[in-house]
Amino acid sequence: MARFDRAGGRYIYIEVQNIEYRVYFEEGGDGIPLLCQHSAGSDGQQWRHVLNDDEIASRYRVLVPDLPYHGKSQPPGSVEWWNEEYRLTRSFFIDFLVEFSHALGLERPVYMGACMSGCLAPYLALEHPDEFRAVIGLEAVLRNEEVPLDYWDHPRISNNYKAAAMWSMMAPGSPERYKWETMWGFSQGGPSVLKGDFHYYFKEHDLTGKAQQIDTSRVPVYLLTGEFDPAASPEDTRQLAEQIKGAKYTEMKGIGHLSLCENPETLKRYLMPILIKIAKM
Amino acid sequence: MAVIFLDSNKVEQLRNTLNNDAEFKLAARLMSEDVLLEVGDSSCIVRVREGVVTEIKLAPGSDDHWSFSIKATAESWDKLLQPSPPPFFTGLNAGMIRGNLQIMGNLEVAFAYYWAMNRMLDIMRQLQNK
Repeated sequence: MARFDRAGGRYIYIEVQNIEYRVYFEEGGDGIPLLCQHSAGSDGQQWRHVLNDDEIASRYRVLVPDLPYHGKSQPPGSVEWWNEEYRLTRSFFIDFLVEFSHALGLERPVYMGACMSGCLAPYLALEHPDEFRAVIGLEAVLRNEEVPLDYWDHPRISNNYKAAAMWSMMAPGSPERYKWETMWGFSQGGPSVLKGDFHYYFKEHDLTGKAQQIDTSRVPVYLLTGEFDPAASPEDTRQLAEQIKGAKYTEMKGIGHLSLCENPETLKRYLMPILIKIAKM
Repeated sequence: MAVIFLDSNKVEQLRNTLNNDAEFKLAARLMSEDVLLEVGDSSCIVRVREGVVTEIKLAPGSDDHWSFSIKATAESWDKLLQPSPPPFFTGLNAGMIRGNLQIMGNLEVAFAYYWAMNRMLDIMRQLQNK
């Protein structure tokens, strides 16, 4: 008898900032909607372990969209996108998630993101407190120091570089098979996509002076960061958490920057108590 | 303890291990470059030709050339080569981000062969702790 994965995928057409996108998403489970957004430069495959977890699926309807230009969500058909450099802006990122939620009729989903989408979690709490029941930011920071980006999309450097660069972003003790699977995802992105995502991550993400305005009585904020994360260190996330009154911060031992997929068992140990708590709200 | 790539008794073992490693051979298969590895003021050059490490030259002279260099202090190399390295010393990218090592020279080449350099560091770590 055939063995099926819990995740089922389909496409939905949604309009964001006056452009229609054909968006691929996967979902599984029943209950409170849990909207999981992938990191920069990869796609929804990063969340496959959360999608397939029995305990999570018994409480949550897990939804995982591929952002436009990522995974199976192609660039829009109505735009000559090949004539311009791909760049993810903060306003598009936020509008996309809100429109995706509205199009599916989700009732105040829980949002969870990692890396760049983890950084977005506090922004969603700040700008759309009525749209989300709670936000969970993995590897979120106040702001990122700008770095040179040209090598992330260079004609003489293959996508091997993007994958290889992720190797030491993960913890030495994370299972090798999951680390390689994570790197595989980064090698699959369109050549310009990781660099374009970094536009938001390095240039537009800045919660300085804004984080204090987040009202966690309206939307609880949970921040989790891995002990081995060199990009968003535990200290970096702790500094963000200190700016958000009522935010709950947890350092995850034995895991690195790609906590959403490099070590599913370790992530679940920290995530499940939070999901149980939110389910009881 | 000397780092393995500066130990005259071990560099040949390092060269042979790299040349017999399936992952390194795959990652470096088109690589023909010289890489300078620096520990403070000490260094060596790893010469790779079409994926084969042909020489690890200790104490290179002023007439030696290289495509790119990987440099860290003795204290940082010690952490980078620990069996289970501590946070921010887990490898090239983590080290670079946190300023614990520097990659200089032709970065196009360095990043084109980042996978091979990752594997070289992993093998150096294995042999350092054997």
